[in-house]
Amino acid sequence: MSHRSSAADRSPGQPGMVSRALHAEWTKLRTLRSTVLLVSGAVILTVLLSASAAGSAEPHTDLTKMSLTGVHVGQLCLVVLAILSVTGEYGTGTIKTTLLAVPSRVTVLLAKALTVTMIAVVVGTAGIAGSLAVGGFLLPEPWPGETGTVRAAAGTVLYLALVTLLGLGIATAVRDTVTAITLMLTLLYAFPFVAQLVGDPDWQRRLHSAGPMTAGLAIQATKDLDHLPIGPWPGLGVLIAYTVSALLLGTVLFRARDA
Amino acid sequence: MTTAPYRSSVTSADDGFGRLLLAEWTKLRSVLRWTLALLAAVVLTVLLGLSAAAGISADEPEVPSTVGPDGKPVRDGFQFLHGPLSANGELIARVEVPRSVGQSASPWSKAGIMVKAQARAGSEYAAMMVTPGHGVRFQSNFTHDVGAGGGSGPRWLRLTRSGATITGYVSADGRSWNRVGSTDLQGLQATAEAGLFVAAPDHIVQTRAFGSTSRIEVVARTTATFTDVTVRGGPPAAQWRSDDLGPRPPEPGTARPTANGFTLTGFGDIAPHPQGDERVRVPLTGAIIGLILVAALGVQSVTSEYRRGMIRTTFTASPRRGRVLAAKAIVVGAVTFVAGLVASLIVVPAAQPLLSRNGYRPPVFPAPELTDPAVLRAVLGTALVLALAAVLSVAAGAITRHSASAITAVIVLFVLPTVVVGALPLTAAEWVLRLTPAAGFSIQQAVDRYDHVETSCLPDDGCSFEQPWAGLGVLVAYTAVGLALAYRLIRRRDV
Repeated sequence: MSHRSSAADRSPGQPGMVSRALHAEWTKLRTLRSTVLLVSGAVILTVLLSASAAGSAEPHTDLTKMSLTGVHVGQLCLVVLAILSVTGEYGTGTIKTTLLAVPSRVTVLLAKALTVTMIAVVVGTAGIAGSLAVGGFLLPEPWPGETGTVRAAAGTVLYLALVTLLGLGIATAVRDTVTAITLMLTLLYAFPFVAQLVGDPDWQRRLHSAGPMTAGLAIQATKDLDHLPIGPWPGLGVLIAYTVSALLLGTVLFRARDA
Repeated sequence: MTTAPYRSSVTSADDGFGRLLLAEWTKLRSVLRWTLALLAAVVLTVLLGLSAAAGISADEPEVPSTVGPDGKPVRDGFQFLHGPLSANGELIARVEVPRSVGQSASPWSKAGIMVKAQARAGSEYAAMMVTPGHGVRFQSNFTHDVGAGGGSGPRWLRLTRSGATITGYVSADGRSWNRVGSTDLQGLQATAEAGLFVAAPDHIVQTRAFGSTSRIEVVARTTATFTDVTVRGGPPAAQWRSDDLGPRPPEPGTARPTANGFTLTGFGDIAPHPQGDERVRVPLTGAIIGLILVAALGVQSVTSEYRRGMIRTTFTASPRRGRVLAAKAIVVGAVTFVAGLVASLIVVPAAQPLLSRNGYRPPVFPAPELTDPAVLRAVLGTALVLALAAVLSVAAGAITRHSASAITAVIVLFVLPTVVVGALPLTAAEWVLRLTPAAGFSIQQAVDRYDHVETSCLPDDGCSFEQPWAGLGVLVAYTAVGLALAYRLIRRRDV
C-alpha cells in the first residue's frame, strides 16, 4: 500500500493546492459579518467623502484629485479587513487548523493575499467609479480631460490594492490586532501629520516623498505636476517598495515561527 | 442558657474605591507589553521632537527687532510729526480715519496723537488714536490698550500731561470730553516729545491654491488727515519736525501742512512683536506618536479583558460597573499623564541646542523658561492631551468591546481630519479642525496673543484655535461624551 510522502503534501506545486487554499480563504472571509460591514462601509464612505470634497472644491484646483479624496476612508476599511484576516485567526486560534490543513505557509499567505487583493480591487473600482460619477455632478467645472483622469482612477485602484497588501504583510509579521492596526495607521498617517506640524518646506518635501500614503497618492495628481514632492509613478514605486518589504518580512517570519 | 451569638473574628474585606484602583494598577503593570508601549511612547515622542527640531530652520528676520520698555521685542515704526512738550501740557487734534491707497485699510491702522518719552523707537509712549476697524483707542507702552467704542468717523482726541501721568480724552465736537484712560510713564523726562502720528500694520492675506496655502503680507501705505491741532506747553505745530521712527520704511513717510492742519502718510506699526513660539512648539510635535501609542494602550486595557473573559471576574469582584470604568480611566489617565510629562520635560530642554544652531536665537526667539506661564501651559497641556486621549480610548474600548474598531476609530478621529483638510477650502478646513479632538494640540501654542495685534492662525501650522484652552476644551468634551456613553452601555449590557 502506498501513501503519499509528507514532502509532496507540503510542496506548493501540487495541483489544486493553491486553488483549494483560495477557496478556504474566501469562505473564511465571506462568512464573517465584519467583512460585509467593512466592504460596504468602504464603498459608501469613499463615495460620501469624495462627494463632500467635490462639493466644496474650488475651481482651478486639481478637481480629479479632489473627487478621489474618498480613498482615505476606503483604504482604512480595506487595511482593517486585511489585518483582521490574519490576526483574527491568531486571536481565535484557528491559525492552527489552517496550518494543519495547508502546511505550506507560502501557500497560505499567497491565498490570503490573493483573496484580500481581489476584494480590494472590486471595492476600489466600485468606490472610484461611484466617486467619479458623483463628482461629475457636483464639481464646479466640467471634467478636465481624459488621460489624466484615467491614470488617476486606475492608479487609485492600484494604490488601494498595494496598501491592503502592506497591511497584510505587517499583520503577518506582528500577529496582534491592535499592534498591527496601530503600526499600519502610524505608517500611513504619521508622515503627512508630522509634515503639517513641521513648517520647513524641505522637510515637508522629504516626508511627503518617503511616506507610503503620501507618495502613493501622488498618482492622483493631474495638475501642477512639477510642484509635487514626488512624481506620480515614482510615488507608486515607493509604495510598491514598502509593500514588497512588508510581504517579504511577513513571509520570512511566518515560515520561521511556530504558528 | 443563652449563648452569645456568633460573630466572625475575620475583619471585613475592604471593597472601597481604593482597592479597585489598586486592582486596575496591578492589571496595568503586570502586562509587560503595555509597560513597553508606554516606554516606547516616551522615547518616540522625544526622538520625533528632536528630529523635528533638527530639521527646521528659522528664516532670517527681515527687520532688526526693537525692544520695548519691558525688554520684550516690539514693532515701533511710524511717521511722527512732533515737537517738545513740557511737564504740564496738552495736545488736541481732530483726526480722521486713516485710509490706504488702492485698498481697504487694515482694521488696526492707527492715526492719532501721541506723547512719547523720546523720538526713538522702543521708548515709552501714550497715544490716543482712531482705527478703521476698532474705533477710538487709548494705547500705551505697546501692551496696554483701552477702547472707547463709538463708530468709525473722525473724532476730536486730547492728551493731557501732568508730570508722568498722561490722560486721554475723546470728543465728538471738541467741547465736551469723555475720559478714555490714563497711564503713568515712569521714564518720562521734563521735556517729552508730542505730536501726530500714523502707522499701519502689514495686512496678512491668506489664499489657498493647488492644495498649498500662501500667506502674503500686504504692505500698506496709509494716509491720515489732521485738523485743528492745538498745543499747550510747547511750540505750535507749525514748528514741529517729522521723522520716520523705527526701521527704514519702504518709502519715506511724509507730513504736509494743509489749509487747517496736516496730512501724514507712513508705514509701520506700533505693537508688541509676537515672538514665534517655535522653541516650545516644535519639540512637542512628537506628541502625536506618543498619542497613538497610548491610545493603543488604553484600548487594550479594556478589550483584552473582554477577549480573555477576565471581564466577568472584574465585574463579579466589583458589581458597580461605573466604578470599574472610573478606576480604569483614572489609572490609565494618570499613568499616561506622567509619561507625557516626562517626555515633554525631556524633549523641550534637549531640543534647545538644536534649535539655537538652526537660527532660533534671542532676541526674536528668546530661550523658553519653565517659569514662563505660556511654556508651562504648553508642557502640562501636552501631557494632559495624552492623558485625555488615553481615557477616550478606554471609553472607545468599552463601547465597542472590539479592539480593531476601537483603535481604528480613535486614531482616525485624531489623525485623519488634519490630513484631509489640506484638500478642503480654508474656511471649511478651519471649522473641521475646530471640531476634532486633535484641536487639543492648540494647547501647545506658547505665543502671547494680544487682542489689538492681528496674528495668523492657519490650519497648516496645526493651529486650530487662537485660544489654547478652547482647543483643549473640545478634547475634554469628546472624552466626556465617550465616557458617558461607555458608562451607559457597560451598565446595560450583560457583560
